[in-house]
Amino acid sequence: MSLLFYMGAFLIVIGALCDFFGALGLLRFPNFYVRLHAATVGIIGGAAVPLFGVALLALGADFLPHRYAIAGASFVTGIVVLIVSPAGSHALAYAAHKAGLVEWEPEVDHLEGVEGDG
Amino acid sequence: MTYAVLSAGLLGTGSEVRPLGEFYLVNSYFGDYSAKSPEVVTSILWDYRGVDTLFETAVFFLAIIGSLTVFRLTKEQEEEVKRPERPPTEMTSIVRDVTRVIVVMILAVSASIALHGHLTPGGGFQGGSALAVAPLLIIAAYSKYALEKSGFDKTRALILRSVGLLGIALVAVIPLLYGGYVMQNQPVFPAELGGQPLGGSLIYYNLFEFLAVGAGFTAVFLLLAIPEEKFKKLLGVDE
Repeated sequence: MSLLFYMGAFLIVIGALCDFFGALGLLRFPNFYVRLHAATVGIIGGAAVPLFGVALLALGADFLPHRYAIAGASFVTGIVVLIVSPAGSHALAYAAHKAGLVEWEPEVDHLEGVEGDG
Repeated sequence: MTYAVLSAGLLGTGSEVRPLGEFYLVNSYFGDYSAKSPEVVTSILWDYRGVDTLFETAVFFLAIIGSLTVFRLTKEQEEEVKRPERPPTEMTSIVRDVTRVIVVMILAVSASIALHGHLTPGGGFQGGSALAVAPLLIIAAYSKYALEKSGFDKTRALILRSVGLLGIALVAVIPLLYGGYVMQNQPVFPAELGGQPLGGSLIYYNLFEFLAVGAGFTAVFLLLAIPEEKFKKLLGVDE
């Protein structure tokens, strides 16, 4: 058990908290866009961060067989999730805005120039 | 050896390995006529149940043939389908740039899943399915026409798939030349190369299955990406 082990475990706890808050936000937030924000908190904080945690934890666990393989696989998966999920939620939000399907009362609309098709 | 003993120790703490499990362990990793593959599942899939797996691949092959038959087109229609009617809509630059990075990563990860199939969980079919996600993402983020313009059209996909199937058939038949049985693994194929375990014929089966499944899925995705209006025009169906 080294420092890496405890750092990894700490990241996994952070991930559990992020998942909890993401689920809470998904249930309680009023419209699609802020719910999408909550879901992204659940993905980045609740999936990517714990995956990096698992990588550190595996590196720190001396008793584990094949710990480098586990750490590498978790790290690569974490990177993929980290890159893909913002792009995915961006595409969802953009599509929703373009289609004009979500009712909302914005304070500020940065995408005002982007015309929807219908 | 340590891996097998350790996993046996981790799974059944305090209990012995069952006789059937021992048989598979001895004949896939420890024995003189084994493939020296630490991944017993792949070993069982291709060595003990090889014909079963071959027929599974045949079922997949028939499914692809079926969809090709449903979407059959003449040569002129094939060319017509490759021409976009109006400039195709692409996704925003964020999605396109991310796709460009991710496609390279998917290719690397899927190749690692398939080519490590005899060492770690995974294998040709799983790696091929992961590979097929890459063209699917390109179709979604750019367009079907972008993929075809870069040279990977339906014909190329079908050629690659046929190469994969031919490879599987050849690897299955090669032992006959050395006086063995069909789909026999050891001692026809080398179990190791330069100290690295190859799993005998397992790595070749996985490689060709990877090609066949990835290219087969890509061909079907390309067919499904043809716009409906285009098909209606070709078939002469009006609303």
